[in-house]
Amino acid sequence: MNFALRLYRALARAFPHEFQMAYGADVIQLGEDIVEDVAKQNGFFGLFRLIADLAIRIPIEYLTELRQDLIYAVRTLRKARGFAAVGILSLGLGIGMSAVAVSEALDMILSDAPGVREPDRVIMVNNVSYPYIERYGDQHDLFAGAAAFQMAVPYNVSVGEGASAKAERIFGQLVSPEYFSVLGVSAARGRVFAPDRDRPGSAPIVVISDRFWRERLNSDPSAVGRTLRVNGQTATIAGIGPKDFLGAIPFVPADIFVPTTAPEAIAPELAGDAIHQRDAKTFNALLRLAPGVTVESAEAGLDTVTRRLDEETLDPARNAKGLRVMVLPGGKVVPVPRSMLPLVLGFMALLNGLLLSLVCMNLANMQLARATARRREIAIRLSVGASRFRLMRQLLVESVLLSVTGAAAGIALAFWAAAAVERMRLPFPFPVRFDITPDWRAMLVVFAIAVMAGVGFGLAPALAATRTDLASTLKEGLVGQTRGARRFGMRNLLMVGQVAGSLALLLITGFLVTGFHKTNDIVLGFDPSAMYLLSLDPVRDGYAADKAAMLFDDLGERLQRVPGVRNVALALKPPCGPESGVLTLSAPGAGGAPDRIVSGVAKETVGPRYFAALSAPVLDGREFDIRERHIEPSKSRALPVVINQTAAHEFFGAAEPVGRRLSETSNSYEVIGVVKDLPAPMSDRGALEEVSSIPVIYMPMTKNDFQHSTADGIVVMVRSDHGGEVMQGVRRELAALDPNVAIFRVHTLAGQIDDTLANVRMGEFVYGGIGTFGMVLAAIGLAGVTAYSVARRRKEIGIRMALGAGKGQVLRLVLREGGTLVIVGSVLGFLGAVALSRVFSAMSSMFAPAFRAGMSDPRLLLGAPLLLAALAMLACYIPARRSAAIDPLRALREE
Amino acid sequence: MPLKTNWFHILLSLAGGEQHGYGIMQEVSERTRGKLRLWPATLYGTIKRLIEADLIEESDERPAPELDDARRRYYRLTRLGKRVLDAETERLEELVHIVQVKRGLEPAR
Repeated sequence: MNFALRLYRALARAFPHEFQMAYGADVIQLGEDIVEDVAKQNGFFGLFRLIADLAIRIPIEYLTELRQDLIYAVRTLRKARGFAAVGILSLGLGIGMSAVAVSEALDMILSDAPGVREPDRVIMVNNVSYPYIERYGDQHDLFAGAAAFQMAVPYNVSVGEGASAKAERIFGQLVSPEYFSVLGVSAARGRVFAPDRDRPGSAPIVVISDRFWRERLNSDPSAVGRTLRVNGQTATIAGIGPKDFLGAIPFVPADIFVPTTAPEAIAPELAGDAIHQRDAKTFNALLRLAPGVTVESAEAGLDTVTRRLDEETLDPARNAKGLRVMVLPGGKVVPVPRSMLPLVLGFMALLNGLLLSLVCMNLANMQLARATARRREIAIRLSVGASRFRLMRQLLVESVLLSVTGAAAGIALAFWAAAAVERMRLPFPFPVRFDITPDWRAMLVVFAIAVMAGVGFGLAPALAATRTDLASTLKEGLVGQTRGARRFGMRNLLMVGQVAGSLALLLITGFLVTGFHKTNDIVLGFDPSAMYLLSLDPVRDGYAADKAAMLFDDLGERLQRVPGVRNVALALKPPCGPESGVLTLSAPGAGGAPDRIVSGVAKETVGPRYFAALSAPVLDGREFDIRERHIEPSKSRALPVVINQTAAHEFFGAAEPVGRRLSETSNSYEVIGVVKDLPAPMSDRGALEEVSSIPVIYMPMTKNDFQHSTADGIVVMVRSDHGGEVMQGVRRELAALDPNVAIFRVHTLAGQIDDTLANVRMGEFVYGGIGTFGMVLAAIGLAGVTAYSVARRRKEIGIRMALGAGKGQVLRLVLREGGTLVIVGSVLGFLGAVALSRVFSAMSSMFAPAFRAGMSDPRLLLGAPLLLAALAMLACYIPARRSAAIDPLRALREE
Repeated sequence: MPLKTNWFHILLSLAGGEQHGYGIMQEVSERTRGKLRLWPATLYGTIKRLIEADLIEESDERPAPELDDARRRYYRLTRLGKRVLDAETERLEELVHIVQVKRGLEPAR
């Protein structure tokens, strides 16, 4: 019983302070009074009930207080609407932006491709030839399996028989029979390809995705064994892939899988015996690591094998320095090279970290200012007996409420932004699954950050505010000597940090935005809306190869006759699209000099009078004409090519390029002309000195190109005279030629440029948004701090004015304080931004050109700090003006 | 309305006049023949809420000195508390009446 009483007393002291003040003694008293009776009547059980009663009521009392705190917090925040709105908005924007960025990274870069078994054990090498991949597969000590595939391959597929069946352009993959076993994917129904069953010459079969089965075949249970028409040929469905499986790189979803054993008619990519050509680097290798093999050792092994193969095939790339292969992860949604991961994630972390810390600093500043402004309220509550703990909790609840509301706003914003990004068009000729549902892990992190920010930045001001000297605070009104008055006080440091951080953010994002803009600006010598682009793909409409070539033979002449048409040209890719540098070429040195090897040369295949149609001046020699059309490509003859200015300079320096030779593995080329550089946006060869100039080699379109076309089909460029509607005439002429040839992707060059730059523009928008947001935050923070500082110095200002100081003098006094902070912050921020930009451009060729172009822009270097400083001074001025309005009599009376 | 059981019993205990905590506890216990016991923490937690709801108040008058226990605080009903108790009582009577009519023990009014 004694023990029970002791426990009872101890527990009773655990009640919240307020309850204890009011009823603590009564509870203990009553317990002491009844404990003997209870023990006598109910024994042990009674004592237990007595204690349990306390144990239950204590948390209830605490929760009640918390509820009161919460209600009170909501009420105070509602009273300080401006403060709450700014806090919630800035937190929401900051958290929302970061959540989207983090989710994107998690979804796109780090998440595994659905359906793939042990995705971390699969690696990928891009742009290799089929024989190379076979040799890779022979390295049994390194790899458990190897497969070749081509992605984003278009197929004209019609479901059902007869003339009524309409063909649709479906994107899929051309895969070697080992593909599914390397990925560890088995069929949901039917079977997948297997090397021992699928051999060249067997009846054409395809595997379809679960999505295709559901959406186009209405989940037909007897789909396996049904036939489809694929590129005009009949093929049997051998199997249906597992749910959610959309190929090896689901970023570019594949709905139909055609084996490399299929006839050329179904898979035109195989034309010209591509499987056995060592220089046909059109395949990607998928390799499953053997047990115990690390990615590093696989990479080293691959490099050795590739070098040996290059020696055998005399590939000019064999002499290139550095690694010959770049290993990519094979089981991810988007393959990002491992070496790039730290950079990409680091850059993201830096920007978002900077943004979030700005938001937090801002919040801290606002809380600090507010807590100080509420000193009087707090002092009164302390003096009437509120516990310091309770008051601190009150302030904490307020700031946590603020930050949680902000986080909720941020998450809502993140969902909205993710939906907006998903709807965005991307400049690819094939569908892209750009799916960034905000990740719950990211949401959790965001929430944790919000609560931590709330607690952390609520605690310090709460501590400071409740540690005041009661008497002096009550007496002196708002004046109490605070620690913030010191030169290096927390508030000043926060302010300098905020200005520096936001300037750094503004500059880094500014560098990127102007850099993107400069490196990707597409300037043509004519109005791009006057050029129409349309695509034809007769091979996939069932044309035989030579018939297809014939179709294009007089197409140009016929379209040229349509009224309003000025130029007509053909190409394999629309002009001004993203370049892809893949070739390594060598130019034999003249007079015993060593060969000049240039890698990363972009290849374009264009028809006659292509440059004339684009108004691109031919600087030397001539461009292709009808003569090249009829060339029969062969190994023995050099193919005539046109190169651009950059390529001419890199291969031949100042020497005359026309008539010189270039060679690649087994092909050789003769330069017949040099053309001025065309705009090359989003080139992946950004590390060069001059931005936006990459070497390009233009091949003539020959019969081979009509036999297997790329995802773009054959692009017909029609430039009209006066932008009038010429397309009707063009369509009529095409229909007269053959009504069965499908015309697709009809748009103007202007639209093409917009599409190409869509994600550049989006980058500009996002980075620009982040930078501007940081700037606005800094301004808000400065305004808040200045307002606070004016309020704090009311008395001092009052005395000064009473002693005869003019309004201008007072204003200057207040502004000088803010100005010093702004200048110190700006200098630090400027240095920080330049240093960070240097670090990032040194680390990556991805950001280097953009940073270089951006950092050399004086408008930005001078403009950004001035803009920020101006805004900051404005933010100081508005509250400072209030200082001049202080009535000295009233300020002094508050003594 | 309806009132929580604890609230109702405390209000009822104060209907007859001022009481202190111990008294309330004992009266409730006796009235319910031990079925309802208001343990100390529950008792004072409820008293706190009743005061906040303005149904009872602390009394500053003291009973006759010989009965007074100086250590104890006395509580009494406020006017609102009285009205709430009356209303609740009426509601309960109404309920009981309905049940009895249903059972045929009492003619419908």
